Amino acid sequence: MQEQPAASGRETLFDSEEMVLNMGPQHPSTHGVLRVILRLDGETVVDLDCDVGYLHRGVEKIAESDTYAMITPYWDRLDYVAAVSNDLCYVGGVEKLLQIEVPKRAEYLRVVLTELQRIASHLLWLGTHALDIGAVTVLLYAFREREEILKIFEDFIGARLTAHAFRIGGLWWDVYPEFETRVRDFLKILPGRIEEYETLLNANRIWLQRTVGIGVLPAEEAINLSLTGPGLRGSGVKYDVRKAQPYSAYPDFDFEIPIGENGDTYDRYLCRMEEIKQAALIVEQALDGLPEGPVMAKVPKVIKPPVGEVYHSIEAPKGEIGVYLVSDGTSKPYRMRIRPPSYINLQSLKRMSIGHLVADVVALIGTLDIVLGEVDR
Amino acid sequence: MQGILATLMFVAPDWVRNTVTHERPPNVFWADYVVWPVLQILIVLFIVLTLVAYLVYLERKVSAFMQARLGPMRVGPWGLLQPAADGLKLLLKEDIIPLKADRVVFALAPIISVVSALVVLAVIPWGAAWATIANINIGLLFILAVSSVGVLGLVLAGWASNSKYSLLGALRSSAQMVSYEIGLGLSIIGALMFARTLSMSGIVEAQQADHIWYVFFQPLGFLVYVISALGETNRAPFDLPEAESELVAGYHTEYSGFRWALFFMAEYSAMIVTAAIAVTLFLGGWMLPGVTGTSFFGWFGPIQNPTLHTIASVVVFGLKIMLLIYAYMWFRWTWPRYRYDQLMELGWKWMIPAGLANIVLTGIWYVLAMPPSRGGVFNLMREVGGRLVPTGKGALYFFVTGTAITVPLVWLLLANINRRSRDFNLHDQRQLQINLRRERLEKALQPQAADNGAQ
Amino acid sequence: MSAVRTPAAKRTVGQLIKRLLLLDLFKGLALTFKYNARALYEPRDGGNPNQAIYTEQYPLEAARVSERFRGAPRLNLDPDTGTTLCIACDLCALACPVDCIEVGSIRREVRDGEKVNKKKVLTTFIFDTSRCMFCNLCAEACPTDCLELTQSFELAVYHRSGFRWDREMLEKGINYVRYAK
Repeated sequence: MQEQPAASGRETLFDSEEMVLNMGPQHPSTHGVLRVILRLDGETVVDLDCDVGYLHRGVEKIAESDTYAMITPYWDRLDYVAAVSNDLCYVGGVEKLLQIEVPKRAEYLRVVLTELQRIASHLLWLGTHALDIGAVTVLLYAFREREEILKIFEDFIGARLTAHAFRIGGLWWDVYPEFETRVRDFLKILPGRIEEYETLLNANRIWLQRTVGIGVLPAEEAINLSLTGPGLRGSGVKYDVRKAQPYSAYPDFDFEIPIGENGDTYDRYLCRMEEIKQAALIVEQALDGLPEGPVMAKVPKVIKPPVGEVYHSIEAPKGEIGVYLVSDGTSKPYRMRIRPPSYINLQSLKRMSIGHLVADVVALIGTLDIVLGEVDR
Repeated sequence: MQGILATLMFVAPDWVRNTVTHERPPNVFWADYVVWPVLQILIVLFIVLTLVAYLVYLERKVSAFMQARLGPMRVGPWGLLQPAADGLKLLLKEDIIPLKADRVVFALAPIISVVSALVVLAVIPWGAAWATIANINIGLLFILAVSSVGVLGLVLAGWASNSKYSLLGALRSSAQMVSYEIGLGLSIIGALMFARTLSMSGIVEAQQADHIWYVFFQPLGFLVYVISALGETNRAPFDLPEAESELVAGYHTEYSGFRWALFFMAEYSAMIVTAAIAVTLFLGGWMLPGVTGTSFFGWFGPIQNPTLHTIASVVVFGLKIMLLIYAYMWFRWTWPRYRYDQLMELGWKWMIPAGLANIVLTGIWYVLAMPPSRGGVFNLMREVGGRLVPTGKGALYFFVTGTAITVPLVWLLLANINRRSRDFNLHDQRQLQINLRRERLEKALQPQAADNGAQ
Repeated sequence: MSAVRTPAAKRTVGQLIKRLLLLDLFKGLALTFKYNARALYEPRDGGNPNQAIYTEQYPLEAARVSERFRGAPRLNLDPDTGTTLCIACDLCALACPVDCIEVGSIRREVRDGEKVNKKKVLTTFIFDTSRCMFCNLCAEACPTDCLELTQSFELAVYHRSGFRWDREMLEKGINYVRYAK
């Protein structure tokens, strides 16, 4: 780090020494092993630097020595909170490379699982965000709903968290007998539970004081910082990959995209709550229109895509996650690059937190909704 | 032996006096001033310390039930032996003292905190007649003064930990506690105007004589008191200095084992004490119409047998304290927490002015209601043994003015003042400073970037 | 595209009264109190989202595991003959992303009427559960229904060498202490 010139001069009443505070990798609120180096003046943040890499596992390098089918489980471990949508990104990319047509039934089931995962991921975000700001009860309530979704996943896919849900060409298993009943029961209790969260938080004056006006990011700056996902939409930009570059079965469904007005933490909170409701709508439409047919396309045993490269991205709960695959004709990719939404969204932390107090930094990390598995890969 | 102890505990001190002194008549001193008070102190300490341990258990259970889970269930039936397990663990833990810490002060700080929290228990009116250990006539002042000493323990703990962040945490905690203590002190003066005495038992007896709980006359005072009590004891929503997500560590970070348990005991004892003051001043103390103190609106009277009456009053007092403590826990697990500057703003810009306004307005209503011989106008009170007791109409008058006029008036006044005063505060200066610094840094980096580009 | 609504800065009289009476705070309190009350009188049914208490008391109550759950691996035996179904084709070891399977085999002469075939016979099968990520690729690659990930999830051992499972352990399954009411 270069030498910063000291704050000289007496322009304001408050010129004083600055303190460097290390919000270390082991911290209850950094959502993983994130190290944030804060430069404070009293309690106000004047500069912020993120030190990442504590969870780097070399996934992109591992991918160069594994076959295409073997890489799929590694994608679960990127954004381990929303594992199923990561899988959708990768298998979509490989299917694009192989030019395979996935059967309609598989596409619809993929959408159902991905939207359920979106609800689960937003519930976890809500719980941890509220926990950081002090409302502990919301965490436990949100995890109860998330547990229901994970039980549905366990019965369908076989695992809860890092569920290796999708295969290249479709799904491995078809639905189990009570799948539709279980999902519909869950969707019936969900609106009541969302109302509970809103009762505890939406109009609560303490919550409003902690989130309104905190971390305001104007739309243009959000675009300049490559922010994607609910953070971008909270700032008022109408961009959702599901509508901008539709993939899978999304063109068949009718849903809205919530946009915020002011770009502060409260707007991002409202955006994500609304997204949960819209995701529930999509799941219902998908279940209503579920076609019959196979769930797996005809895929060769050994996957050797033609020479070429492809970029495929989807709207993950955290933002736009993308895969860039370069194939050289063999069964192992030449290069696999992951576009991690959390890593790119983390850039906006500095812009959002300068001028705020130390206690707000915790709220801002929460509102960006980062997962260190994705940041570090 | 048990029989003797039981009778000693449940029978009036006359028996004790007679037992100890039936051979040597002039030795009343020992019975009245040594044996009986020591007995009372031991009982109160035993009960309160056990209660503190079980308050931790209650908090875990209450928070669990509110959060759709079960809480401690494994240690003993329904987890009831959990405090025993916790206590044993804390006693057996390694006692860590930081390397360069000031050992004497490090050991002294938790002792100061816990002693100041426990000494106060002597003047609290746990029940009628002999259930108070020391019925001094400045009880309330004594409580406020002694519990303020606890702040010293906090600051010493932060200092002796030899950690920059513990010191900062301690300073913030103590600043918060001191600020809310002012609000605490101001909010109770309204009720004192009616009670006309600082003696804690005297305040309860005043409510007994007025046949009313002062919360009905002083809703604003009660509200300000409860909020200030939450801020004083560092409970949610004012627990930022203690919260895990806070960067700056709390003052008790470097403490482990039994020393930390002492701080914990001090915090929960302070909770019990503030709840006890609220119950005494506003919620009628140990009175419950029909059971203790007064009759149930004329139907059935209080218990006549004095011993039974005192025991019942202790039970009633305990129940009321538990209700208030349940409310504290309820607030903690429902609401988010305030940021530190918002917390201080609430204390200084809302609680203290509200307390002052409450005093002024209560004084005005009181003086207006006095009999004309004393200089009043409405004559809604009559003199009874040196105090002024409101008549039936007087009670209604105080209730209406307290709820319908005082509260909205004060709220409107403060809201307007605080909204206007935002123009005068220093927030803009701070933002200006940050912007200037950013511009200066950008300008400094630009020629360097040009140099790097040129190379 | 719908816009989310932030609380309006309008000051109607109703809003003012609501703010004065701390209604927003009391609504939250009412919700948590309802949960507290329900927890006291409702019967316990862990795992049921409609109950007030959601806890399943494991290990006193048995854990709820689904049929397709991917837990500990197992080598299945032929139910009729009792011999292993494994044909030592090594496909599972090739499919595994983390290289946790080692298959050892020998070629043995088998008389099939007149012809003499050299068939591969399984000798050793080592599965390292500490490396396994339970992704199911090995079970999907197995041509016979031999390798399967079962519902057993309590895999804790006292020493790291206990994670390397040999053929016998894989066929029998892991023994662990059961806590039951």
